[in-house]
Amino acid sequence: MNAIEIRGLSKSFRGLYAVDNLNMTVPVGAIYGFIGENGSGKSTTEKLICGHLVPDKGSIKLFDRPYTDAGVRVRVGALIENTGCFPNSSVWDNLMMQAINLGLSDRAGEIDRVLNIVRMEDSARIKFKSCSLGMKQRIGIAMALLGDSALLILDEPINGLDAEGMKMMREILVDITQQYGCTVLISSHILGELEKIATHYGIIRQGKMIQELSAKDLEGRAKVFTSVKTQHMQGAFGFLRQKFSDVRAEDGYIRIYDVDDTEGIVGLLMQNGFPVREIKKNKIGLEEYYIELMSKKEA
Amino acid sequence: MEMRFEKSSFGKRLSSMLKVDFCRMFTTRFLYIMVGICLVMPILILVMTTMMDGSVTVDPQTGVETVMEGFDNTWQAIGTVSSETNPMAMGLTTMCNINMLYFFIAVLVGVFVADDFRSGYAKNIFTVRAKKTDYVISKTVTCFVGCALMFLGFFVGTVLGGAIAGLPFDTGSAGIAGVVMCMLSKLGMVAVFVGMDFAASAAAKGRTWMSIVISMVAAMLLYMMVPMITPLDSGIVNVIGCFVAGGIVCVGLGAVSNAILKKTSLV
Repeated sequence: MNAIEIRGLSKSFRGLYAVDNLNMTVPVGAIYGFIGENGSGKSTTEKLICGHLVPDKGSIKLFDRPYTDAGVRVRVGALIENTGCFPNSSVWDNLMMQAINLGLSDRAGEIDRVLNIVRMEDSARIKFKSCSLGMKQRIGIAMALLGDSALLILDEPINGLDAEGMKMMREILVDITQQYGCTVLISSHILGELEKIATHYGIIRQGKMIQELSAKDLEGRAKVFTSVKTQHMQGAFGFLRQKFSDVRAEDGYIRIYDVDDTEGIVGLLMQNGFPVREIKKNKIGLEEYYIELMSKKEA
Repeated sequence: MEMRFEKSSFGKRLSSMLKVDFCRMFTTRFLYIMVGICLVMPILILVMTTMMDGSVTVDPQTGVETVMEGFDNTWQAIGTVSSETNPMAMGLTTMCNINMLYFFIAVLVGVFVADDFRSGYAKNIFTVRAKKTDYVISKTVTCFVGCALMFLGFFVGTVLGGAIAGLPFDTGSAGIAGVVMCMLSKLGMVAVFVGMDFAASAAAKGRTWMSIVISMVAAMLLYMMVPMITPLDSGIVNVIGCFVAGGIVCVGLGAVSNAILKKTSLV
């Protein structure tokens, strides 16, 4: 079963397609990183899934049911653009309102549970308007988690957070999937952070899904390379190009692709009169993969 | 992985939506401010017009004298008996009465509904609610109760104002029953205006001003009819007629509002 299954989804605004014949599959239990440049259609897709926008055509299924099914929708939580909280009400009151909306029986207990998950047990009585950005994002997640959510849709939840906040958000999201079996669809521009938690990726461009892959697929496709700095860069570059097939001069380093034998390279360079000043193993991550994919599509 | 999703019945959904809306309406200051205004307004109107009753003002340019005419009876602030009702009359007593509140309904409904969309709270509601019917019914019921409280506030204010101003409480041919029936008829008409104003708010979404302007224009079209349909000597026929009209408008325009919410973007 898939948590989200979208087929041929389109949505246009004044004749311009924000989402164009999009297909998307999010497996149950996945943390699905939804990636794309600004205006690529990520938020529009998320709003369509949540029923905030009406699609022009196409189908959306959540857990094998139509997305308009009341039973399934009550177990969807979303944080899109803002938390939708009333600024003059306390964190607790805002959560209580959503708990009533969901028709929960043990409302106080449920609010305590979600506040505990987002590490905000001590801030329940603070007015929402007095909360910091990081706290507001966590309240948004708490609100989305109320009532045994099976699917969380989070639009840029780590934007604007400091390093500490990002780390906490990462831990919370991993907790949610591991402990509660929740599926998470998360869009973000901070690919380095996304890479640490995502199990699946969807890359969208101009409203079209250009690639869907799992973290394992990405791992398989990711190139390894060794970066070297020597005292005679030009000579070493020429020498290494004769020895290896893919050698590039990038960012002040000589990069040897598909080779991670640092000791062998050091030995080779030393033997041929190129003393090594710095050497490190690298791997192309999500960010580089994404940029490369985008530039290929551009071409 | 096996996932279980319980069926969510209409009754359960509506009951939780009603709880949210009543909670929101009664925990925000706005309703109390509106009811407070409705309570104070008749006191001020009755006391001030009684103080100025009979005073003469002369236009310095034309020399025309105008005699200020106040209320003769407290119940004039609620309505006039059918034989004296003139919908086209533009005097102080015909304009400054409880019927003004039909314009206030536009403000209460407009602000209450638009607040959902402006704050982003509507997103939280509609993410977990696929059926818009719950929202339409719940908002209509809640706004009706809020507006009914405004009318009751005005009624209490009228009684207090009449007592402070020393005006007679003579019900004349209407009798106490007539006054009660008149108030009930007016509450029936509240349902008509709430249904109308909610449809305007559903179309305007977060644009409070647009919702209020549309509602005010629609209210103006019906305003002249209200004194005729709800005179001070109203009977059970007036009450039933007003509630039936209110029900028809709420159901009819509720269906329209439902279609608007279903077919248009919510954000």
